[in-house]
Amino acid sequence: MDISEQLNLSNTTEEEIEPFLEVTPALVQKRRSQGRIIFDRFMRNKAAIIGAAFLVFMFLFCFLGPTVTGHNDPNATHVTSVSDTLAGPSWKYPLGTDDVGRDTLARAMVGGQTSLIVGLASMLMAIIFGVGIGSFAGYYGGIVDNLLMRFTDVILAIPFYLLLFVLSATFTDGSPRSVIILIAAFGWTYSARLVRGEFLALREREYVLAARTIGAKNFSIMFRHILPNAAGPIIVNATLLVGANIITESVLSYFGFGIQPPVASWGSMIGVAQNLIDVDPLLVFVPGLLIFFTVLSFNLVGDGLRDALDPYMTER
Amino acid sequence: MGRYIIRRLLQAIPLLFLLSIFMFTLIHLMPGGPDQVLFNPHLTPAAREAMRARFGLNDPVPIQYVKWLGRALVGDFGFSFATNLPVTYILGQRFPATLQLFLPALALALVLALFFGIISGVRQGSITDYALTTLSYFGIAMPAFLFGVFAQYIFGVWLHILPTSGMQTLGYQLDPFDAFIDHLQHLILPMLVLSILFIAGWSRYMRSSMIEVVKQDYMRTARAKGVGPVRLLLRHALRNAVIPLITVVALDFGAIAGGATITEGIFAWPGMGLLFFQSLEARDYPVLLAILMLSSVFVIGFNLIADILYGVMDPRIRYS
Repeated sequence: MDISEQLNLSNTTEEEIEPFLEVTPALVQKRRSQGRIIFDRFMRNKAAIIGAAFLVFMFLFCFLGPTVTGHNDPNATHVTSVSDTLAGPSWKYPLGTDDVGRDTLARAMVGGQTSLIVGLASMLMAIIFGVGIGSFAGYYGGIVDNLLMRFTDVILAIPFYLLLFVLSATFTDGSPRSVIILIAAFGWTYSARLVRGEFLALREREYVLAARTIGAKNFSIMFRHILPNAAGPIIVNATLLVGANIITESVLSYFGFGIQPPVASWGSMIGVAQNLIDVDPLLVFVPGLLIFFTVLSFNLVGDGLRDALDPYMTER
Repeated sequence: MGRYIIRRLLQAIPLLFLLSIFMFTLIHLMPGGPDQVLFNPHLTPAAREAMRARFGLNDPVPIQYVKWLGRALVGDFGFSFATNLPVTYILGQRFPATLQLFLPALALALVLALFFGIISGVRQGSITDYALTTLSYFGIAMPAFLFGVFAQYIFGVWLHILPTSGMQTLGYQLDPFDAFIDHLQHLILPMLVLSILFIAGWSRYMRSSMIEVVKQDYMRTARAKGVGPVRLLLRHALRNAVIPLITVVALDFGAIAGGATITEGIFAWPGMGLLFFQSLEARDYPVLLAILMLSSVFVIGFNLIADILYGVMDPRIRYS
């Protein structure tokens, strides 16, 4: 009760100042919430907006597209004659068909679902690992930090793709789930280092000391007090990681180590179509350009967020 | 500095030891061992058993590891399961091919990245800067294998001017000069694809450090005392701006022993990367382990070199 009264009190004092601000509308305009400031800054970045818009379109295309357009059967082979295979664009199949007569548009949309889900889910898992490991290492320091960071070093010392190829030969069964776990299991290293660095700097701040004096437990200091202050770099890293993971998935699937047929993903579509590139280049270019523009958009949005979340960027 | 290097080298030993255990375990966990992939399917069980015994696959994995470690420490990585050749001999054959691909790609990338980085750093906000920035964005968002496949289509299938895979044209007896030209033609595409990836990343670094340096006071001083624009750029700005890039280049160089796995895989360039794919498929444990260990040694080594170079280039940095 005491606190809420105090809050009310401060509110009334603010309202008393309010009429003064109304005289100078420029100042009123400046009194925005933190989130609003970040949002406004983000909206001013044209490249980031285009990226975000494309991503929204991409999600609609992949997840609603199959139902809306009726191209919802990626594995059906629409073959009535030889001319139905490797067909060029037509009204019935806007992007043509592949070597066994499957609808390329339907496969591109469903393959996109796989690629996007793998990218997002593995990002989420990797960030959770990374934040967990990084915050323990950074907060406790000393021997915990040493052990966790040596472990990170071991993983970072093996070339990433060599490791992933060996692992996917060992552990994956070709399902999206196993590929997600694999990518996440080795994608957390960068975010762990990032979070550790943030925690090392932030744990010395006064508010951490203040939280400790009022009796906050280590766990709540780490995740209630420090983590929200380290959120900016983590969000940026997470956005960029989605793009990177989509690339990783497509590389694995392209070489036949990731998602296995009959499940379609953009990477495996390219891997299969590469042998047909002199007959039907569209089969390579459709999933290829989709990967390219999706990853590009994630990078643009990530960079836009980086600029928007940077507290040192002065507003003009 | 000397003590710092020695300390780092000593730290690398337990790291490599842990790595070797990790990778040995990992490789032996792979399903379908070499006896199922390689050996003749018509072998009698007794003969199969004899083969397994010959390769030492019947010992428990920890024992196998200790035996392997004992030999590897004196530089003996055993014999390939697939070809029965010494692993060191196979690596000796493949590594030059990777170098042939890597060194020109890195050299080209370095020259172009410096050039692009300086231009967009000095003319920040100009149309050239925007164009180069956009291009480097494209380069970063485009996976290596897509570049490879698109390049194969454009230059191999569509324009029909360059070969798309391998190291030389098979089935022809060419005189040495033609063979050399043929070899170069095969090199062009994989080299370009490999270098574009480096150019995209490095020119970003170069640009941002150039922007930092151009703003410095000593630049204004140099200009005030009458240093010409070219000399100002090359002697005063570049020397300081290039420091962060050197570190990144050294780090990327560490990938060399792993081969340009992806690029070599696409273009069937017979270097370390392709060897890795082949031995992974054949479950050729000794070769796989040697490649993984060698590439890790390179990564760790070039990390150290990057740190040392950083100190050499910038005397303000002190290592304790």
